[in-house]
This record gives sequence, C-alpha cells and structure tokens, in this order.
Amino acid sequence: MTRSDRSVGTLIGIIPIALIIGVWQAIAASGLAPPSLLPAPAAVFARLVQQLGSPAYLDHVATTLFRLFTGFAIAVVIGVTIGLAATGSRAVEGVVRPLVRVLAPVPKIALYPAFILTLGFENASKIALVVADAAFPILLATHQGTSAVEPKLAWSARAAGTSPLLCLVTVVLPAALPSVLTGCRIALVISCIVVFLAEMITSTDGLGHLLVRASRSFQTIDTISLLGLLLNVGFNALRARLLIGFPEER
Amino acid sequence: MERLASIPGLPPILACAGLLATWEIAARLLAIDGLPPASAALAQVPAILGDPEALLNIAASLRRMAVGFALGVAFAVPIGLMMGRSQYVAAFFNPLLMIIYPVPKAALMPIIMLWLGVGDASKTLVIFLGVTLPVIYHSYQGARAVEERMLWSAAAMGMGPLARLTHIVLPAALPEILVGCRTGLVLALITMVTSEMITRQTGVGNILFNSLDMAQYDTVYAMIVIIGGLGFALDAAFEALRSRLVRWAEPSHDLVVGTT
Amino acid sequence: MLVVPSRDGAAVTSTAKIAIEAVSKTFETKRGRPHLAISDISLQVAEGEFVSVLGPSGCGKSTLLYIVGGFVAPSTGSVTVSGQPVTGPGPDRGPVFQEFALFPWKTVLGNVMYGLKQQGVAKAEAQSRVRELLAMVHLSGFENFYPKELSGGMKQRVAIARTLAYEPSILLMDEPFGALDAHTRTRLQNDLLAIWERRRKTVLFVTHSVEEAVFLSDRVVVITRSPGRLKEIIPIALARPRDRATLLLDRRYQDYVVGIERLMDEPGEEEPAEDGG
Repeated sequence: MTRSDRSVGTLIGIIPIALIIGVWQAIAASGLAPPSLLPAPAAVFARLVQQLGSPAYLDHVATTLFRLFTGFAIAVVIGVTIGLAATGSRAVEGVVRPLVRVLAPVPKIALYPAFILTLGFENASKIALVVADAAFPILLATHQGTSAVEPKLAWSARAAGTSPLLCLVTVVLPAALPSVLTGCRIALVISCIVVFLAEMITSTDGLGHLLVRASRSFQTIDTISLLGLLLNVGFNALRARLLIGFPEER
Repeated sequence: MERLASIPGLPPILACAGLLATWEIAARLLAIDGLPPASAALAQVPAILGDPEALLNIAASLRRMAVGFALGVAFAVPIGLMMGRSQYVAAFFNPLLMIIYPVPKAALMPIIMLWLGVGDASKTLVIFLGVTLPVIYHSYQGARAVEERMLWSAAAMGMGPLARLTHIVLPAALPEILVGCRTGLVLALITMVTSEMITRQTGVGNILFNSLDMAQYDTVYAMIVIIGGLGFALDAAFEALRSRLVRWAEPSHDLVVGTT
Repeated sequence: MLVVPSRDGAAVTSTAKIAIEAVSKTFETKRGRPHLAISDISLQVAEGEFVSVLGPSGCGKSTLLYIVGGFVAPSTGSVTVSGQPVTGPGPDRGPVFQEFALFPWKTVLGNVMYGLKQQGVAKAEAQSRVRELLAMVHLSGFENFYPKELSGGMKQRVAIARTLAYEPSILLMDEPFGALDAHTRTRLQNDLLAIWERRRKTVLFVTHSVEEAVFLSDRVVVITRSPGRLKEIIPIALARPRDRATLLLDRRYQDYVVGIERLMDEPGEEEPAEDGG
C-alpha cells in the first residue's frame, strides 16, 4: 500500500471501534438499558482510573503478574530444553513427538482441577496451569526452529572441535532464535489468558477473581472496567508487536 | 526403537500407556488424597458414561460446542475471504480483530451472563466468539495467498467477481481455512470447558467441579480423562475429514501451537 | 491496414485484430515513487498472426500482454480488439501463464472443462470436446489426475488445453515455457506450432528467448529495457510448417537470431534503474 492508502486504511479501521463506542454511549444515554446493566463509557473509564490508584487493586494486579511471569519463565525453560533435546536426539524426539500429539488437543484447562487437588488453591496450581499451556508452543517452536537450521552451520562448529551438546546449545539454538522468540511471544499471550481464566474459576485474589466477584455482585462498572483493562493490555501487547497475529498491510 | 516408531498409530498409544503408567506409579508413591491412581480414575469412566444425567450434561456441552462452532465458521469464512481480497474490508476489520484477539473469550462470560443470563445462549455466544477469530485469520491468509493468475484465468472465461470469490477463492483457500477450523475446534472445546467451569450450571465443567466440591476425586480425574479423550477424538476426526477434503493440495507443514 | 507475410511469402493485407495505440503503464510502488513500466507502445496484430513480444526481464512485456488481456488497465492509450475497446478480461482473449495457474482442486478433466461449463455447454458435449483437446496435447488417459500429480510440462499442456477449450480468437501467452527445462520446452514449442497450424488463432507470445521468438513467430516485436519502448519489429520470412532440426541449420534462421541478439545488446536510451533495479 502506498502512503496515502495506509492512512485511508487506518481511518477506515477506526470506524468499527468508534461505531461500537458510539452505539454504547447512545444506548446508555437513552436509558434503553438500566445503568446497572450498561453504564456509560465515561463512567467506566472514570472508575478504571480510580481503581488504578487504589493499593488494594494494585495488589491484585501484582498477584496476577507474579503468577503469569513465574509460569511463563518455567515454561520457557522446559519448552526450550525439551525442544532442543528433541532436535539433538532421535530417541528423545521419538518419545516427545507422540506425547505432544496426544497431549496437544487436550484442553489443558481440564487439568486445572488436578493441579488444585495436588498443589492447592493458591499460586502453585495456577502457575502449573500456565506452564502446561505455555510450554507447548515454546517446545514446538524450538524444535521446529532448531530442526530447520542449516546443517552446515553445525558441521562447521563440529569440524572446529565442538562437542555435539555444546554445538546444539551455542550454535543451533542461537541460529533458531527468531523461531524460538515467536513461540515465546505466543506463549506469553497464552500465559496472560490462562492465568486470568484460572483466577476466574477459583481464586481469592488476582484480577480474574476481581472480575468474577464484580459480576456476581452485579457491579457492572467494575466488570466492564476490568475487561477494558484487559483489552488495553492486550492491545498494547500487540502494539509492541508481541504477536505474529493479524499482520498489518505491508 | 525406530521400527516401533514407524508403525502408524502405535507411538500415540505407547505415549498414552506411558503417561498412564507414570500417573499410576506417581500416585502410589505420593499416596495423597488429591492424586488417586490411574486405575481408580479409569474405573470411574464407565460409571460416568453409564449415568444418564452425566451423559445429558456431556451431550449438552457437545451441542453447545457444535452450534457455536458451526455458526462461527459460517460467519467467519465469508468475512475472512472478503478481507483477503479487498484491502478496504481488511482495513475495516483488522484493528477491531487485533484488539479482541488476546482477550480470552471465556473471560467475557461474566459480562455476557449479566446480559444474556446463565442459559445456553451465553455459553454458545462465547464459543462462537472464540471460534470466529482463528477462522477469520486463516481464511484471510488463505484468500490473500490465492494466485492472481488463477483468478485472471477464471475472469477470462467469463466469471464475474462474486462467482470468482465463491468458486475460485474459496476452494483455493480451503486448505488454509481448514487449518483455521482445526484451531477453532480446539478453541471451541477449551472455551466450552472453561466457560462451564466459570459459570457452572450444566456441562462437563460443571460435573468436574461438582465432584471436586464433593471430594469425589476419582470422578474428577475420570472426567479429565473423558475431556482429554474428547479433545483427542475430535481432533483426530477433524484431521481425517480435512485430509480427505483437501487431498488435492500440496503438503504443508502446520505449526500446531496450543491455544487457549 | 496491415501488410503481413502470408504462408507462401506473398504479401497480404488485412484489418488489425489487435490494435494497441500509444499505451503506457505506470505503477505505484511501496515507496511512493511511480515506476514507468512501458512507455508509448503502438502495435497492430493481424488476424491469425503469431507475434512474439521479445525483451529482457523486467522490460514490461508481460504488462503489455496483461493490458491486452484486460487484466491491467493502461495509464494512457487504448487497446482495441476486433474493433471493440478492451475494458476487462473476456473469453475472446485466452491467457496461458508461466505459472500454469491451474485450479488445484479440480482434475485435469475438471480444469479443461471449466471454461465450457462457464459458457453453459452441455456436459456430454463438453466432455467429448475435452477428450479431443487432451488428445491434441498428448494427455489422453490423464483425465482424473490432479495438478499436483503432474510434471511442469504436463501442467502447461493442461493449461493450453484449458484455454483452447473455450475457443478464444486470441491466445495471450506469457512466457509459457519459461518454467520448464530446455528439453520439455522444445517439445512444447513444436506441439504449440502443430496445434496452431490446425486452428489458426491470433497469438501474442511473450518471451525473453530470441531463438524461441524467431522459431515460432511471423513477426518479432523487440522491446527495450525498462521502461519498455518499442525498439523494432522484425518480420520473420521463414516458410511454414517449421521444422526445428532443419531450421537450426538454416542460414536465414541463424541470421535472424544473431541480428536480433545484436539489436538487443545495443545500448539504448535507458533511464537509471529505480529502487536499485
């Protein structure tokens, strides 16, 4: 697209979002829906700002983030290690491949009750769920990425005297870094999603829990503002190009 | 070992067996209430499948999933195709979709429940939303990648633009669309289970947490096995259907990345 | 009015089948600087003529073909076919592309029949016409194969049969043998001429191979390097039907090839390459 096409494109893209906010405002203002069910956009935004200032709220945010990043970090370690090992060893690959085939279509969220039963209702079970969900994309991306590395790179290192293991870690893995990072980015988004969901299902703290509590007591404003926060985070994540999602027009 | 690996179907079965064996051993070693041995859990599976009420729940879940999936695909494919062929349609939908994409659709359950109540409608809607996104994305990608010269050949034969969209773009993009559908199916299952866990009422998620609340741990694990089995069976069935539908296509390597 | 060499060498006049008048095409590029692909080309092609458009890669010759086909609109100038201005694609101008552009989800039979189905021809008749065409391109027996199961040469035969099926009066061929190995290419060149002799269509044939152009055509239109301008038109006065083995040893054929190659090597008024070439 040329420059002018791109700005036209951006303008067109804003239309549906503006339309939705406009319709939202209109419905709220007209009184078609009771304000308890559908508060005005301005009220929601104001509440969000208010909450972001409260320390209790920020505590919940911190809890959620802790679970998220701990789980993600563990998933990275496990995923990269197993993925790399599967590339380096036919035996490992032979074991890993069918395991992944069996486990991949299983909704890991179904394992959540098992994690609760074995690890308790607190952080550990949620972190375990994050690991279970996030490890797969990282594992797959690492394995596929390292398998696709030009063999001649490894041959050069081996000819210079590098051991197979060292070669794998210091040559093949860095060469596959773009792939691995892509997998990590997908896994990060999945981690965000999963930790939120787990908190919604059973929790006494964290953002997901707040969302459920707000809706159960019909505090719609809180509900929507939390969702708005989630949307905003998600949007920023994309803005920073953390995702390979919908590509922009090139 | 390699000869074993080359027998089709055997490796996954061995993997399952390995997992079950590991579970059994770990459970006996750890000997905690929260982790019953695999044998005890598996013994519960026929009990669940034989219980009419449980079956009704499972059937309800599957029904919601099927409806949500079908509606999602019917809605998403045309939009994705049009986005792929018109940069204006694409520009219109892209930002909106990019914002919605990272939101777990199951997280919308509370607010949808406020508006639509706790019945089937809200759960089906959430599944519908979860399915549409990957299907739109892959339909979009598939439509974009359709060879221009193929469309020109069809135009030279006298085909109009709408006919080209349905008779050329759609079949040409079908392999990619079906990849999106496969992802959508996985997401439908996950969204279904998650939304039922959040809202309870009926369905597999409900059975799961009911048994949890009532400390029927064997049942909990049995349900997990059933859900896992459902996921595997659905995926395998879809894969078989997909390869039949697009047997004319050049093979491609899909990165099957787990999604939520 | 147009003077063309006829099959026996005597001059014959006829009205133009394709009339290209002062056609230019400018493309918008990503960086915003417009790229002039072809500049001010005028050309007339008579009915039943085989004309090659010859030039180096990137000189815009394919663009010219697409404009005649109605797939791309010219920036300036106009194209008239059989007296009617070109406004879009149509079954009177059948394309054959280098990348084959077959419909991968249809069998060979399905592909070749496609145009006939579009025109509403009854199934039985369509099938019999298709079998006849497949025999002509030496692909009898392959009706139920999918494109992915065919070699490059076979795919191109299917593409040619598919276009011939809906009987366009003009064939627009865009480097059709460019993606094939040399041996397959010569076989298909011979086959193309054999088919053409049977059904004398007007052919506009784009290529970058001098030998191919001389071997196949009645006239060779030489286009300069980008932006493509008409350099020269060379009538090829070699008798038909043309046999490759004989022609390769024919002095006049060799003179044509050497002469045109020299022509193409001449430094022209070239604009500096844009975007690094």
